[in-house]
Amino acid sequence: MKKISRRQFLGMTTKAGAATVFAGIFAPSAASMLGLGGVAEATTKKIKPFTFAVLTDAHLYDIADHKFDHILEKAVSDVNSIRPRPDFVLYAGDLGQSGKKDELLKGKRILDKLKMPYKIIPGEHDYYLDMGKAWRGLFGDEHWSFNHNGVHFIGMNSILVPDFWTLKGLTPKERMGMMEELECHNCGAWGVGEKQLDWLARDVKNVSPHTPVIIMTHSPLWDYYPRWNFQTYDAPQIRETLRKFDKVISIHGHVHQVVYNEIGNMRSCGLLSTSWPWPYPPVELEYPHIKQRRADPGDFEDGLGSHDIALDADFGGTVHWREFSDLLPDNIKKGLKV
Amino acid sequence: MKKIRKMSFAAVTSIIVVSGALIITSAVQAKPPRSETQIAQERAALMTAVAKGDALWHSAKLGNNGLACANCHPDGSATNVHTWPKFQTNLGKVGTLREMINWCIAVPMQGRILEYDSEEMIAMEAYATFAHRGVAIAPAKDEQHGAVPVKSGPGYPRH
Repeated sequence: MKKISRRQFLGMTTKAGAATVFAGIFAPSAASMLGLGGVAEATTKKIKPFTFAVLTDAHLYDIADHKFDHILEKAVSDVNSIRPRPDFVLYAGDLGQSGKKDELLKGKRILDKLKMPYKIIPGEHDYYLDMGKAWRGLFGDEHWSFNHNGVHFIGMNSILVPDFWTLKGLTPKERMGMMEELECHNCGAWGVGEKQLDWLARDVKNVSPHTPVIIMTHSPLWDYYPRWNFQTYDAPQIRETLRKFDKVISIHGHVHQVVYNEIGNMRSCGLLSTSWPWPYPPVELEYPHIKQRRADPGDFEDGLGSHDIALDADFGGTVHWREFSDLLPDNIKKGLKV
Repeated sequence: MKKIRKMSFAAVTSIIVVSGALIITSAVQAKPPRSETQIAQERAALMTAVAKGDALWHSAKLGNNGLACANCHPDGSATNVHTWPKFQTNLGKVGTLREMINWCIAVPMQGRILEYDSEEMIAMEAYATFAHRGVAIAPAKDEQHGAVPVKSGPGYPRH
């Protein structure tokens, strides 16, 4: 069993003031979790081991024969080649770049080449042209849950921002244009919102605390770099709702990079895109050894790739960042235990 | 040789004359300290260039495949403005930030390069450099650097 440090268990990060406040408020439940530490691990429900794959952030343009089309196709082929074959694939958002139906249709055509079923959530680039209408038409619900081999999977739309466009009289295209900028000056912080928080509470209400849980969102469920929406403003509430579980694995897109964090019972993994790698933002990382080397701008596949996550009977996970060209440090080349 | 010597003589003479004139007139022609208004105007001119650069940085119009500089370089990150000039592998030589900007426009963005002394190029350089204000000059430092941390807004004062 991995030893839980005091910081992890209190749900603190050194830079997230808000998280520290929450840790104080919820200290009693955190304390009871610590007391149960060893026992909880032992009673975690056994699962039937399996592997699933994850893809994200293709940012497809409505331009024929675009280089990002080929990179997504390559990632799909890569996932199809994984043995043992993943049971299914999760897609963590930003299939399109500007929310156009043709981008999403192109993405769906490529994803449909996967030899296994896939589940998908929206990213901001899929969404703000028509507020998700085209996306929902193609892919269905923006949030969902399902059980597989004893694991409870949750997907949520974490890119909802309060209305900044109506008062400004922006057109849908102008709104989308602003949201396309990572450093959007006017868009504000995003999150899942009240409705999805309520849905999540209902969804996990009758799920045993010893059930393994995996949650996928577009953005991180911790305050990484709010300026670039490397955050989800109501992540503290999500973490609190999921606090009853022995262990939660969170996977997220949006950051286009290898990044890892632990808060309380949640272990978070940031994923590679199939479009371009983002630089690391100007903040200290909690796990600085889990990051990729800088990419060569002359190599259009550098820092991009797919992922597979293998789960053993005790819900021990091994995350493999499958980079097309290897920028991974030695310590995670063979995967990261989560 | 003779001609050059003559020219040199003429040049030396003129320098002496000019210096003399400067000495004589310095009392009345010395540059007065700039007023607060002037400083504010000069600062505003720079911020206009930074804002113009910001707009270009986020514009897909420089390229031909939908990409903007900001796709890979949000807030001007990973431009490492404080490390140029340096040997850059993609340029294949010791080059400048402006040459790298043009390389990015031409190769990943498949666009048409800018004149090095154009208003657009200077504005883009102003934007990326201003995003790294306070970062120490470090020629040839081979490490990706973020911009100055920004909480919200454009990252520079608006006027």
